[in-house]
Amino acid sequence: MASVTFDHVFKKYGDVTAVNDLNIHIEDKEFLVLVGPSGCGKTTALRSLAGLEEITGGEILIGDRVVNDVAPKDRDIAMVFQSYALYPHLSVYDNMAFGLKLRKFSKDEIKRRVGEAADILGIQDLLERKPRQLSGGQRQRVAVGRAIVREPKVFLFDEPLSNLDAKLRVQMRSEISKLHQRLQTTFIYVTHDQTEAMTMATRIAVINKGVLQQLDTPQNLYDLPNNLFVAGFIGSPAMNFFRGRLRKDGDKLLVDTGDFSVAIPPSRSKVYENHAGKDVIFGIRPENIHDADFVPANIDSEKVNVKVDVTELMGNEIFLYLMSGQNTFVARVDPRSKSRVGQQATVAFDMDNFHIFDAMTEQAIR
Amino acid sequence: MASTSMIERAKKKSDFRKTVTPYMYLVPAFLVMAVITFYPLIYQVVVSFTDFQTKDLLRGLASEKLNQVGVQNYVDILAGGLPVQNFDFFRVLTYNLWWAITNVALHVPAGIVIAVLLNTPGLWMKRIYRSLYILPVVIPPLVVATVWRNIFDEQYGAMNQFLTSAAMLFGSIDPVRIRWLEDFTPPIAWLLPNGPLTLAYYAMMIANFWLGWPFMTLVATGALQSIPKDLYEAASIDGASAYQQFMNITVPLLRPAMIPATIYGFTTSFNLFSFVFFMTGGGPARSTEILVTFAYDLVRNLRLYGAAAAFSVIVFFVALIIFLITNRLTKATENIVE
Repeated sequence: MASVTFDHVFKKYGDVTAVNDLNIHIEDKEFLVLVGPSGCGKTTALRSLAGLEEITGGEILIGDRVVNDVAPKDRDIAMVFQSYALYPHLSVYDNMAFGLKLRKFSKDEIKRRVGEAADILGIQDLLERKPRQLSGGQRQRVAVGRAIVREPKVFLFDEPLSNLDAKLRVQMRSEISKLHQRLQTTFIYVTHDQTEAMTMATRIAVINKGVLQQLDTPQNLYDLPNNLFVAGFIGSPAMNFFRGRLRKDGDKLLVDTGDFSVAIPPSRSKVYENHAGKDVIFGIRPENIHDADFVPANIDSEKVNVKVDVTELMGNEIFLYLMSGQNTFVARVDPRSKSRVGQQATVAFDMDNFHIFDAMTEQAIR
Repeated sequence: MASTSMIERAKKKSDFRKTVTPYMYLVPAFLVMAVITFYPLIYQVVVSFTDFQTKDLLRGLASEKLNQVGVQNYVDILAGGLPVQNFDFFRVLTYNLWWAITNVALHVPAGIVIAVLLNTPGLWMKRIYRSLYILPVVIPPLVVATVWRNIFDEQYGAMNQFLTSAAMLFGSIDPVRIRWLEDFTPPIAWLLPNGPLTLAYYAMMIANFWLGWPFMTLVATGALQSIPKDLYEAASIDGASAYQQFMNITVPLLRPAMIPATIYGFTTSFNLFSFVFFMTGGGPARSTEILVTFAYDLVRNLRLYGAAAAFSVIVFFVALIIFLITNRLTKATENIVE
């Protein structure tokens, strides 16, 4: 068990900077998820920690030890690969025992550890099989088992669920969470799927283009995104954005998008007063846009006239794809909504839950 | 009821069609094979029970001078009754097997090691090496044999000249005059007194090594590239050294590709007629003779057509046995990987 620190880590491939000045301190026993779009450098960061890539600058520490020049096998980590990387010619048992055999553990100890891991993962019946005789989910378990038996200080997961079908992914997600609680070890998990990040992480590091965008708990990332990228990346369906300008109208502060304008409630206007006249991006999540007929009580709402482009009934809610002038956006509304495709409708923006970003810097204005 | 029987009849007719159609497609190929393969094969078996000689060439099996000798040819071959010097069937067979096995035992490991070395990431001019080692694969063994025969020439060969220069470094002034392909005395007499392997065997091993390893490297290179990189990464995290990765991942995952290649290499070496024929002609004193060169000798020089036919039949059964064994081996190694 150990903490992990990325201290001003750089990784360059020629002119391309894959990881750009990464600073993360991961606490012992934490479940940290590195999330970001494909090619953002999150996997490179993980592989650097594993020792599979040499970093160009900075330091990586496991516990108090700088591991820059330590071989992967001596870093006391275990890794689960996206492809599982099971040894195809070895049985499940031997796959899991491989690392222990190389480390000269006694036969009894190997048997005990493999048996224990197999119990945890429910793969006792598969130990004699070869990887090719297993389903995707079973292979996944074996790959996790191979990591568990080593009892490492840090577990690394590189998009372990992306080769599974949707249902299995949800199931394995909760199993990995359970595993983390059970093992009480540091988990570092890479994914491009923000749902996985939100559901499993203690803290999430959002990375884009090699740069750490925000490092925080899932709820904070959702409620208080630092910038436009994080706001758009976390949450599904994604947050709606409207280009506009902050405008003072008498004693009211408005966001004017050109097609419509909404008033910022007095309780929040103080923050934005100094930015009046500035080009901004107004962001609001789909669940904070309501059908005007079913607006929850006690919220500051602003009505906007829209045209309904597409409706998607989900049962417990309806996704409305709406148009207002040049803007297209999504609302998650009450299933009783009467909105029909092609018709005009009125929606209500919940003005207690919105975000405003500087159009130039794309940073949140708070 | 009548309709049922009609349906049955129609069904039978279509069943008949289904069974016969594939055979109809095979007929043309079968006819060609009958003429160029089966007829000579049967002809040869028939000839092997006669004393077919030059005198019978004109009229073939219809020759009135042709005598049926039963299994006499077979007995002569196996019991050493042929009017041929220095011939012992079982010695030639043993040497032939030994020749094939030792060749493969050198080529396969060397091929794999070279393939792994050339597969090193970031190696300079990889493409040049890879096109260079194809060269021996595409040069006819006849040319290779002739070149190497010259290299091992007693007076003018590069090998002796090289050894002479090397010896000069140590102060020797005598030119080296090793009779590589002619000397009959075993080369390392103190180790193997009266050993069966002459210097020519070792010379041919060297020459055939040059000829043989590139194919194995070719196959191994292809197979290496199909081994996923992350297996090595997983192993390196699991604690495997480079050597342990080679033994635990590379070798087992190369096996499915290398075993057929090994069998191919074995059969090629076993029947490497042109190379042996042009390098030594089986000499000195038949010490490097293999079965196929001997069969050729029976026909070409000794004109013992009947005996040669019997010999070929025996070689056929030897090859069949080898085939059955190797087939077993291949089957046993199928399905290691997906």
